[in-house]
Amino acid sequence: MSEVDMAVIKPEMMKSYIWLQTADGSIQQVEQEVAMFCPMICHEVIQKGMGSSKNYAISLPQRVNPAMLSLILDYCRFHQVPGRSNKERKSFDEKFIRMDTKRLCELTSAADSLQLKPLVDLTSRALARIIEGKSPEEIREIFHLPDDLTEEEKLEPLKNTTDDPRIRLLNRLYAKKRKELKERQKLKNIEVEEERVDDRSVDDLLSFINGDNGDSKGIKNSKSKKKNRRRKDQQKNTSANEAIKNHNKEPNGLNQVCCSAEVGQTVRAGVGATSNLHDVEDDIFDNKNELDDGDIDDEIDPALKEKIDREVEDFARRLNSDWPERMQEILSFGHERKPVHFSLNGNDSLRRYANSEQR
Amino acid sequence: MQKKMAYSFPDEVLEQVFSFIQSDKDRNAVSLVCKSWDEIERWCRRKVFIGNCYAVSPRMVIRRFPEVRSIKLKGKPHFADFNLVPDGWGGYVLPWIAEMAGAYPWLEEIRLKRMVVTDESLELIAKSFKNFKVLVLFSCEGFSTDGLAAIAASCKNLRELDLRESEVDDLSGHWLAHFPETCTSLVSLNISCLRSDEVSFSALERLVGRCPNLRSLRLNRAVTLDKIANILRRAPQLVDFGTGYYAAELQPDVFSNLAGAFSSCKELKSLSGFWDVVPAYLPALYSICPRLTSLNLSYATIQSPDLIKLVSHCPRLQRLLVLDYVEDSGLEELASSCKDLQELRVFPSDPFGAEPNVSLTEQGLVAVSLGCPKLRSVLYFCRRMSNAALVTIAQNRPNLTRFRLCIIEPKTPDYLTLEPLDVGFGAIVEHCKDLRRLSLSGLLTDHVFEYIGTYGKKLEMLSVAFAGDSDLGLHHVLSGCESLRKLEIRDCPFGDKALLANAAKLETMRSLWMSSCAVSFGACKLLGQKMPKLNVEVIDETEPPDSRPESCPVDKLYIYRSVAGPRFDMPPFVWTMGEAVRILH
Repeated sequence: MSEVDMAVIKPEMMKSYIWLQTADGSIQQVEQEVAMFCPMICHEVIQKGMGSSKNYAISLPQRVNPAMLSLILDYCRFHQVPGRSNKERKSFDEKFIRMDTKRLCELTSAADSLQLKPLVDLTSRALARIIEGKSPEEIREIFHLPDDLTEEEKLEPLKNTTDDPRIRLLNRLYAKKRKELKERQKLKNIEVEEERVDDRSVDDLLSFINGDNGDSKGIKNSKSKKKNRRRKDQQKNTSANEAIKNHNKEPNGLNQVCCSAEVGQTVRAGVGATSNLHDVEDDIFDNKNELDDGDIDDEIDPALKEKIDREVEDFARRLNSDWPERMQEILSFGHERKPVHFSLNGNDSLRRYANSEQR
Repeated sequence: MQKKMAYSFPDEVLEQVFSFIQSDKDRNAVSLVCKSWDEIERWCRRKVFIGNCYAVSPRMVIRRFPEVRSIKLKGKPHFADFNLVPDGWGGYVLPWIAEMAGAYPWLEEIRLKRMVVTDESLELIAKSFKNFKVLVLFSCEGFSTDGLAAIAASCKNLRELDLRESEVDDLSGHWLAHFPETCTSLVSLNISCLRSDEVSFSALERLVGRCPNLRSLRLNRAVTLDKIANILRRAPQLVDFGTGYYAAELQPDVFSNLAGAFSSCKELKSLSGFWDVVPAYLPALYSICPRLTSLNLSYATIQSPDLIKLVSHCPRLQRLLVLDYVEDSGLEELASSCKDLQELRVFPSDPFGAEPNVSLTEQGLVAVSLGCPKLRSVLYFCRRMSNAALVTIAQNRPNLTRFRLCIIEPKTPDYLTLEPLDVGFGAIVEHCKDLRRLSLSGLLTDHVFEYIGTYGKKLEMLSVAFAGDSDLGLHHVLSGCESLRKLEIRDCPFGDKALLANAAKLETMRSLWMSSCAVSFGACKLLGQKMPKLNVEVIDETEPPDSRPESCPVDKLYIYRSVAGPRFDMPPFVWTMGEAVRILH
């Protein structure tokens, strides 16, 4: 209401107004009973005597812009009326809360800064409902949040539990590999990847088990070398390791419970891409004497490292190899008897599946 | 680009938002969003669920979540229920209690399933947590009534004490008297598993009488029928009641007393217990039957006609657990009377008998599937099944979420066609798109696993016994079932190939159990070596696995993902496959 309007109103109908100023400088007056519904404004009026005129307008917190103030005042205007039933209030709230997520976030923030608890409650619940049932990526997208957890923090490798440098190295390599595969997934056609999920050469893995690439020998040779080195190096690095241990994020293995499904998807979806572990190897050799990713990394005999790298690469290749013909062989071998053709509501799904195997 | 201003909140606001997000899955998702959310979330996480106590260490949990008030832990694998996990395998809760005693002085709730709990643990709980409120010991063992006495005596604000299906060394019924006279906070008390015939009945009565908020009370067999009325009259607000023995010589005054006591319980919705039932006393329940939503008669040896009469009085029934005495005729009555039925469990009265002792066949289940549109969860023991019946069930009830069929004799074929039951179970997984849990039985080839791998996209738990022809079966499941968390297999011809080819899958699951299969010791070792995030446990009570050639199959294999590394509390008959040369033992 402008000052002109106010002059026209009869004195006995005069309401009291509170003057409010938002961060952008604009000032407005609001009916007292509405504004006083906000604890922060109430406090300013009662404790500090502010708000009685334009010159003494209450400066609202920065998070309350004019648009948000308008919404908040609508809320207050409705709820400060004492006679309303719970049903009415609830119905108002349900309609009031319908807005896009961005405004909802702004509103939550603004309501919080004005200490308007019932509105914070209402908006928080609405935000919680938006978050429920979504994946971390979806949530990140909705709220424009950075993806700043490292792969290790998400996967939680075996820190602080084993001193075996080989296992730690394997962990780090696995973590790196997963990150890589994830990045590749973003670039490549996801559907193409998923089709290849089943194409793993079992026979290859078996021949690996039987020691075709002489890894076991390699391990034995370098092990004796490793023993002497390790003892020395461990003493050297213990204090450094302790420092790093504390610096790193604490293990939160429970993350793995939910993100492992993601990881599993990532690894399987990345099948078919022949991973290039050379980059990973270079990282290790370049950073031999540094601490990569702030990770605990004992000095390991480079020859042993090489062996481990090759082991991991082989194993990874086995897991990822795309030998569709081999797998088809294996699959068709198991199909001496065709599945019974009966109609499930006449739908073709079962029949289609059966046909695909006859290729 | 990122509009950071619009979406940033002060921590307290985010905490408030998170306080409305309670499911574990959602909390886990929130913690993976970004660093700041992870940090805020972990400080305001109050409830933690750990599905495998060896997947993470207590210290890790405590470091990550400093303000936990409620914890739920599971120990032994599910097949422990069928005596497949030898005694002493593990699942000890004491290390957890010991760590939490120092770290979580305000802990309020502990819920355990299939864990070994000692009196020492119970005493430690009683001593350490000043505001302790809820203790649930589901299928636990290792403790006695002395431990319970400590809990009763010390926990001033105890709300729930639930010992369902646990094995308790029942030394004396006197432990109940340890609840101080000042204890009035009980909401739930379940002592149905206590075996002894002694119970301090007067202590029980007084306890029940002074707890006005008591909603759930499950007595044990020691409480005789004539005592029930007294208890009920002191707790007419009960919602859930488990009787003791429900047998006595029929006496009119006892009967009318009992009927009167039941009818005064206006809130009673759930009944259980009923050991040794005398059918003549069943009508005492009729006044509350119209309100009943849950009825557990799995110990009640009452025959079909009496069951039919009882069930016909319960039109609101949502959950029924019953012995196969119910027979097809009883299930047909259920199908016509109980349109709200959601869960049905039919247990065998004589599982080891050679011949069927009751007329319960696949027809009963088909009738229920046809008549009960809300049926979601089934556990059914029977002696014969057909593909046609399974297809019918699948078509009638695509809303099934749990389907556990146990045909008592292994490898039983379709009794009509003598074919395997592949097609029938295939129909179940194809039609029931939200199926989360499935147990197979009967004669099954690799084909059933093809169907499961193709259609079982939401399947989380699968139990398999005496099924399949080759590794292909296991491969189908591991490569196809995207949501699989728990897989338990016994007596199937699954070997190394499928397991090794799908090694990465195992890290996405909680656990895999394989016993009496064909997985070689060499493969176990390889798996343990190559997959540092898995604990590969070989269990063999007869001799160490390395006393035989590597190609020999292991007796029992339990693989589970873990960030805590190999455990150190293993008994002599468990070996963890670990580093290249050394096997941890």
